[in-house]
Amino acid sequence: MIRFIIADLRRLWLGCAVVVLLVALATALGVAVTLQERSLRLGSARAADKFDLVIGASGSETQLILSSIFLQPAPLPLVDGELLSKLAADPRVAWAAPVGFGDSFAGYPIVGTTTTLVTSTTPGFGEGRMFAAEGEAVLGASVTLTVGAVVKPMHGTAETGGPTHTEIAYKVVGKLKPTGTPWDRAVLVPIQAVWHVRGLGDEHEHEDAGPEPTAVASSTSHDEDHHHGGIDPDAPIVEEFGADTPGLPAILVKPKSIADAYRLRQEYRGNGTVAVFPGEVLTGLYATLGDAKMVLSAVAAGSQALVAAALVLVTVIHVGQRRRQIGALRAFGAPRGAVFLIVWLELLLLVALGIGLGFLFGLLAAQFGAHVFTAKSGVILPVGFTRDDLRLVLVLLGFSAALAAAPALLAYRQSPAQALRA
Amino acid sequence: MMPLKVQSLAVSFPGLATPVLSIANLEIAAGSRVALTGGSGSGKSTLLNIIAGLERVRTGEVIWGGQDIARLSEGRRDRWRAENVGLVMQDFHLFAGLSALDNVLLPARLSRVSTPNLVKRAHEMIETVGLKRPGQSVETMSRGEMQRVAIARALLRKPGIIIADEPTASLDVENGEAVGDLLLSVAAGAGSTLVVATHDQRMIERLDRRIVLRGGCIVGDEVVGEVPA
Repeated sequence: MIRFIIADLRRLWLGCAVVVLLVALATALGVAVTLQERSLRLGSARAADKFDLVIGASGSETQLILSSIFLQPAPLPLVDGELLSKLAADPRVAWAAPVGFGDSFAGYPIVGTTTTLVTSTTPGFGEGRMFAAEGEAVLGASVTLTVGAVVKPMHGTAETGGPTHTEIAYKVVGKLKPTGTPWDRAVLVPIQAVWHVRGLGDEHEHEDAGPEPTAVASSTSHDEDHHHGGIDPDAPIVEEFGADTPGLPAILVKPKSIADAYRLRQEYRGNGTVAVFPGEVLTGLYATLGDAKMVLSAVAAGSQALVAAALVLVTVIHVGQRRRQIGALRAFGAPRGAVFLIVWLELLLLVALGIGLGFLFGLLAAQFGAHVFTAKSGVILPVGFTRDDLRLVLVLLGFSAALAAAPALLAYRQSPAQALRA
Repeated sequence: MMPLKVQSLAVSFPGLATPVLSIANLEIAAGSRVALTGGSGSGKSTLLNIIAGLERVRTGEVIWGGQDIARLSEGRRDRWRAENVGLVMQDFHLFAGLSALDNVLLPARLSRVSTPNLVKRAHEMIETVGLKRPGQSVETMSRGEMQRVAIARALLRKPGIIIADEPTASLDVENGEAVGDLLLSVAAGAGSTLVVATHDQRMIERLDRRIVLRGGCIVGDEVVGEVPA
């Protein structure tokens, strides 16, 4: 029987190829949506894993997380710099590190922070060492520069454009090991350098050093007049922050315990500040993502249903066209069960092959999407199948088996004499 | 050796006022070689379908060797046909993509009765019908060769009955004669009852009994030879 089925499928290879391709594309659509959404959840959760608590000025919690952890360029209100010293001195805090941004180099965001944050959130250096002077920089693993390179910051992002601070240059002294987070695409510099570039902080302050009304995170909202500072490349970095610390877009906090984390979160919600766990913001985002996934899945399911209906129609017509062959098989003594099995197996084989290819295409599409996303954001999206996908395969195969039974039943019920007369 | 007895047979199709086949009594002795003739629409094919168990009988009896196949369920009729009837048709009904040998063995394989002995017999039958290459794909064969494969397939399970519907109609004279010879010789060799519906005068002349149908009724029945022992 298998030999007959194979010969039959080979004879009708073009039609079979179209059927397989249709099923594969319809399946791939659903699979790609599922895999992409899942990998986005996992990848973003892993990227935020190292950051327990983020404190910023009152405003959008989502934007605070997207900007401070996912390094998305967007305006953020500033929180009073004094808060950093207060947090650093808090016995419930293991460490608190500021982040400041606003400049970029060759599309990579330049992030000002402290050695504590770099040490505590990365697996160490692949090459070189930590920055020790104001004019030194450390690269994330995905930045396509090498130790010894010179980085001249450009205000804003590559997309929005902006003037390059030609008078300012950081020397790259180290490159970090990969973290699978957006920080792999960042150029990390001492926070004091970021302040000094903007004319903020101690000896470089030329004018009003108070907190800026809008964040340095935004190239669009930033006032160019603030860019008249400069850095002393050889100045040692100072990570003791006092009352005169300039305003900050965000402070990343590592509480000593879970209880401390909740207490700190509670304490810094209100009075001009907001404290959030990245996880809670991501959960909200996932809910939105889930809704989008539902819509896309519905579209995919709709296309699968259309393909299934088209397949049944095509196979029913096909069975009609093969009546004489079916009649001959019966006439020569093939049992009705064998005729049923031939038609059923032929269709099921094609659909199963299409489903298999669909899963492969879906995986490849999701991997491609993840690759593009990682190249843009630095977040590594783990694309892969789980047990749930196996269940989906079984459901699809079960549905296909039931579907294939319709034309098979039609063939089963055909009278051989009538079929031969057709 | 299987004799046939048809009694009070009436076959009607929906929408037709008169039966397409109406036979009060017909007996064919075991081992007979019978020609079934008549114009188009005379009922030849319907009668062949009935006696081959392809068509369901609602009125009448069709008794082969004591068994009324009109009373069998469709599944049992399929089984009976597979075991007792060898069919040869005008259009050969060979299956593309398969070799001559696979075509000969296909019905047996689908019925799950293929054994090494049957495979050996398939090789022998292919040789008997004059084909040299059992592995040759049927698409590459001439029409005469295709009909030989069809005959080998019909004879594989040593059927007691061989039913042929216009077996030479789509062949040239030379091939038609060769196929006619083959049918007669293998039927005689196996002692099978041979019923051939045909317009081919040469074929008709070589058969022992000629039944003429018109309007679904037997209008002529002539015995011209002896039933082989």
